[in-house]
Amino acid sequence: MSVQIFFRGMNNVRRRLAVILLLSASLMAPAHAADKVTTYKDERGWKLQVNGSDYYVKGMVWGYTPRGENYNYNLFGKSDDFIRKVLDYDFGLMKAAGVNTVRSFGFMPPKWVTYVYKEHGIMTVVNPLMGRYGYSVGGKWIPFTDYSDELTRATLKKDMLELVEQYKNVPGVLMFAFGNESNYGLSWKSFEIENLPEGERNTEKARYLYSLFNEVVRAGKTIDSNHPFTIVNGDIQYIDLIAEYCKDLDLLGVNAYRGKSFTGMWADVQKKLDLPILFFEFGSDAFNAKTFEEDQFHQATMLKDQWQEMYNKSYGNGEEGNSVGGFVFEWRDEWWKYLQEENLDIHDNNASWANGGYPHDFVEGKNNMNEEWWGITALGTPNAEGVYTARTRMAYDVLSAIWHMDPYQLKKEAVNQSFSTLNMDYFALKSEVRELKSEAAEKRKTLSFTGGQLKGELVWKGQEQDITEQGENGTEFSNGEMVFLDFGFQPTDRIDGQFTVNVLANVADTEPLQFQYGRRGAPVTVVIPDTPGNDGVNVITDTTFEDRERVEIYDFDATYRGEAFDFTAFYHVPRYHWKYEGDFFGLLLETTDLTSEYTGQDIWNAKAPSGVEFAGKGALEGLKVVAGEEVYWGANPKAIIKYRSTVSVPILGPIDYTFMHAEDIARKGEATGATSATERQTRQTTLYGKMNLTDTTILELGGIMAATEKVDETYQRVSGDQIIQDTIDFKDTLGLKARLTFDLLGTRPYLATSLAGLVADGGATLTEFGTRLPYSALGNKREYEAGVMMNFGNLMIFPRFLIRDNLVDANPFIPAEIDPGGAILSPGVTPRNRDDDPFAVLGNRKAKAAELFMTWDPTGATPFYQWDNDTREDARFAFNIGANYTQYSTATDSDLFFFDVTGANAAFGVGLPEEDVWRVSSRMVFNPSVNARYIVNLATGFDQSTGDPAGGTRKFYEAQAKVVLNSRHIISGFFKKDAWGPYDFYRQFNITFPEQYKLDYSILLDNRLDELLSTKIGIKALYRTNDENSPDDEYQDGQNDYIFQTVFYFQFSF
Amino acid sequence: MRNPYREGACAATRRALRICLLGLITAVVAGCGGAPSSTDGIAINNIVLPTDTLLNFACADVGIAGETCVLDDPDNPFLSVAITEFDVNNPDAENKFVLNNAIPPGPTGAKARFYLWATALARRPTGENQYYTAKSLHELFDAAGDALVQAQALRAYRSVLDNFFGSVTFFECCGGVAFPAPLNELVADNLYRPASTGFEPLIPGVPLDVLSVFGDWGYTYRPATPPDFTDGLVFLNQ
Repeated sequence: MSVQIFFRGMNNVRRRLAVILLLSASLMAPAHAADKVTTYKDERGWKLQVNGSDYYVKGMVWGYTPRGENYNYNLFGKSDDFIRKVLDYDFGLMKAAGVNTVRSFGFMPPKWVTYVYKEHGIMTVVNPLMGRYGYSVGGKWIPFTDYSDELTRATLKKDMLELVEQYKNVPGVLMFAFGNESNYGLSWKSFEIENLPEGERNTEKARYLYSLFNEVVRAGKTIDSNHPFTIVNGDIQYIDLIAEYCKDLDLLGVNAYRGKSFTGMWADVQKKLDLPILFFEFGSDAFNAKTFEEDQFHQATMLKDQWQEMYNKSYGNGEEGNSVGGFVFEWRDEWWKYLQEENLDIHDNNASWANGGYPHDFVEGKNNMNEEWWGITALGTPNAEGVYTARTRMAYDVLSAIWHMDPYQLKKEAVNQSFSTLNMDYFALKSEVRELKSEAAEKRKTLSFTGGQLKGELVWKGQEQDITEQGENGTEFSNGEMVFLDFGFQPTDRIDGQFTVNVLANVADTEPLQFQYGRRGAPVTVVIPDTPGNDGVNVITDTTFEDRERVEIYDFDATYRGEAFDFTAFYHVPRYHWKYEGDFFGLLLETTDLTSEYTGQDIWNAKAPSGVEFAGKGALEGLKVVAGEEVYWGANPKAIIKYRSTVSVPILGPIDYTFMHAEDIARKGEATGATSATERQTRQTTLYGKMNLTDTTILELGGIMAATEKVDETYQRVSGDQIIQDTIDFKDTLGLKARLTFDLLGTRPYLATSLAGLVADGGATLTEFGTRLPYSALGNKREYEAGVMMNFGNLMIFPRFLIRDNLVDANPFIPAEIDPGGAILSPGVTPRNRDDDPFAVLGNRKAKAAELFMTWDPTGATPFYQWDNDTREDARFAFNIGANYTQYSTATDSDLFFFDVTGANAAFGVGLPEEDVWRVSSRMVFNPSVNARYIVNLATGFDQSTGDPAGGTRKFYEAQAKVVLNSRHIISGFFKKDAWGPYDFYRQFNITFPEQYKLDYSILLDNRLDELLSTKIGIKALYRTNDENSPDDEYQDGQNDYIFQTVFYFQFSF
Repeated sequence: MRNPYREGACAATRRALRICLLGLITAVVAGCGGAPSSTDGIAINNIVLPTDTLLNFACADVGIAGETCVLDDPDNPFLSVAITEFDVNNPDAENKFVLNNAIPPGPTGAKARFYLWATALARRPTGENQYYTAKSLHELFDAAGDALVQAQALRAYRSVLDNFFGSVTFFECCGGVAFPAPLNELVADNLYRPASTGFEPLIPGVPLDVLSVFGDWGYTYRPATPPDFTDGLVFLNQ
């Protein structure tokens, strides 16, 4: 090798090193330093530049919400591994389409902003909503942010600037934007503003809003000079105020839904603000409200037209030149948008607002905007990694083509030429072919098998007496297997549904420690008594049926979605109450607990709810009818009609009112659960109104007329030493209920009262925030209640009080007597019961109750008292502690239970005695890391049976815990001392056990990491001891001190 | 031009009216209450028991299991009486037999006894209640000789066989020992052997006629034998 060659070689090495260093520097830079983002303007228009390079925002409003979830879902509370899988999936698809920026309503933590920037080259707009949907001010949640309030302004400003500080050096941040159509949410009220006419009121409020925006922007720029600052305005409403107050904006952010063209917006903004425009939302839904079917073509066409105009209005095209890009709304359909907390796993096609800018499906007087269909991708099913897929629509392909054009490189004519060559027919065809080929088949299949579960268990159990007498032979072994097969169907766009078939193999013998679904197939011995034998002596014979009911339809629901109404048939699927939609008296009870281990209806093979529902739309909006054999668990066959609307009354303003009528059609023939009594056939009619007396004072008022069929029925009561026979009058069917909620000194108190005639039975009272006040659905009461919700930062203290008296007390037991002469009968009385008497004093007994709950929950987005908080709570530590003391100063009448042998209710015959009861409890949730969770429940109390008073009031202790490790290992268990058994009937018959233990370990074997749905195996041990308060057949006069059971189980989901 | 004073006055008026409305509602709610007054209802501490023997049937099937019209019969003195059934968990508690025993024996108590058992039967259709309803009708027939009552008594006895064939009632003897007695045999004995009740026979003629009626009803009776008359047997004809 020559020297020349050596140096040439050295030069090559240097050059290569230099190239490597330069490349490294360029690659390293984003990881360590934020980009410099600026706006640029000359006589040809405006441009956005990142590190000096032109940057046209090809943006996407991005979020990730699986089916069955809603706005509470927090992707960034999951494990890093899962977050990475989701981001790689979604941002990979977006990158391929040419997306360069995202806007997200949920905060993307800094490290993930940088991750998507580094891995996928996609930047992020930091967009705090700045009180748009309420804000926590001074430790109190304010649903309608008052931008005129000094404390609110200071709080918002401080918090926003802290965010700027946090994100200013984060690589991947494109800019800061504040609010979201905040000009549409000027809902707060103050006395000064209230005195102005409505139009001026909002203008005054807007002044406060925009002045605060500018304060934040101006202060933000002193913290971060490398990024532009803007707001997200609803269209260009209040543009003059923006011009007046927001002088520090770098550009104008706008949500625009004007249809295929943004019309005069470009010129208006140029004239009044002279700022570049960046759309933060625009687009089109993919559902045609006129043809009532998915409409990918018009969505794609609308987006194409919008982008063509945006490109034409960008820099250097001889027009306004103030377009710098936009964020298409949105990446993926969100199935929670309509109703928000209901039908979360259903793709609703209800149009919820009207917009004439979308003429392809606009009909005067009808809605055409379908909130759950705005994605340029549809929400698919989970892939192998548990990530919900995005099924690309035609709009995705069209936008890919558009985003691969550079509006700054192409002249206007070239841009328009490129748009004109976009072959929409080809994209439509491609979309259709993809639909046919891909998992879109899921949607269109007339009938499809969608999955299922195979379950099995091996059970080993025994009790002391058998083991003592027979040794190892005294224990029993059994096994059980079953399979659930899930099917979906969608014969037309308007009809879809699903059903599940359950097939039993063996049924394990787990009772009495564990009652569980599938016991319908257990062997049953039927006794046939009193068959006369040949010798004339009556004999008893029995027959055992081994193979019963191996196959059943487990659940079913189907919905027809029409333009005028929706019609749903349901059978054993969860259904919610209507208390948040005007059912003040709780006539329709919730039936959501189907599968819980100890309280779900599956263990009794109950099949509620079942029936049909009609829900009106358009001209019939507000009308609902539900009818069926058992529309909630325990209901008699009945029909309920509800109409809800708003009426504006002079002086009072708008009143939200609801009329309801419930009519039992027949009487239920068997028990709800194990031994719950059936109810007599009845009817109820209610009228409810809700109005805002002031912005923070809400008055709710309702009247009820119930059980009119009982008018003229007789009942006995005791008055002094007299036994009085009385009759039910019409006034006894009437009741009144009122509730006033208001603000006072930074707290949220309420006052409530319920006055109900003897038979004016309502339904279930809405219980919130963990209350254990002794509410009752029954009439015969004067009830007064008060409480104050006090928030101190993350701590909520909520004392509540209830006082109730009865119009007629319970009857004591006075035996009937006949005088010694045999001529005079003194009839006596016995405690009433709800079968033989028109009413009875039970849970509605006279009471004085006080309770105090303290709740610490730093993450309000996962409410502590939400039913599924065990799986959702994302605070590092949240807890409550509550105490309730209730004084029952009178006895009750007699409760009923369902006696299976006779197939009818039977009365306990005596009531519960007067007594003071109490309970103290605490629930704690720890999240030490995203992969671990500990939940602890503690309780102790002194309380009564719910039926049989024999055995007296019981003091008990309970401790329950669940530990989730690595999101896969689940250890749960409980210890109870002197507590009732775990099923309702134990308390009904006042059956307790000295000690009860449970320990359960399971491991989830798939990536769903869902305790209910995942494939898993586990082992569970149950043990309890007996005493004289335990069931006679278990205690056996002291011969049997304990009973135990060990279950090895597996569940395979497919 | 807007008159701010006028606007302010209107708003104040609205607030005042709303507060008045709230006050009115509060007053109405607080003032409501449906508790019975001292003049409501009628005292029923002392009910005179009937001593006559003329029974007006409340309906055609009164006294037969499944018919509850006796609960609407204004002549029924036990309408509002808590008739306590035997409670296995509280065997010493006073029950319907205490009332039964307190009613005067003989014809003056027969009608009251019918109402007692017919009421018990209407509320709880058991073999025991049906049997004693039939027996009280039998007693009334004995007292008044009414052919309608005679026919009703026979229907009531037959109802014991048809509806409660295997039921028993309990007798106590010999120092508190209870023993069961099959109701079908008691029914047959009451009809077959007048001495068992001391009442006029419901089926006139010779005892063989009773066996014939039994045959018509679908049963065969093997009569009990003296001296205890406890070994009779009733068969259901195949």
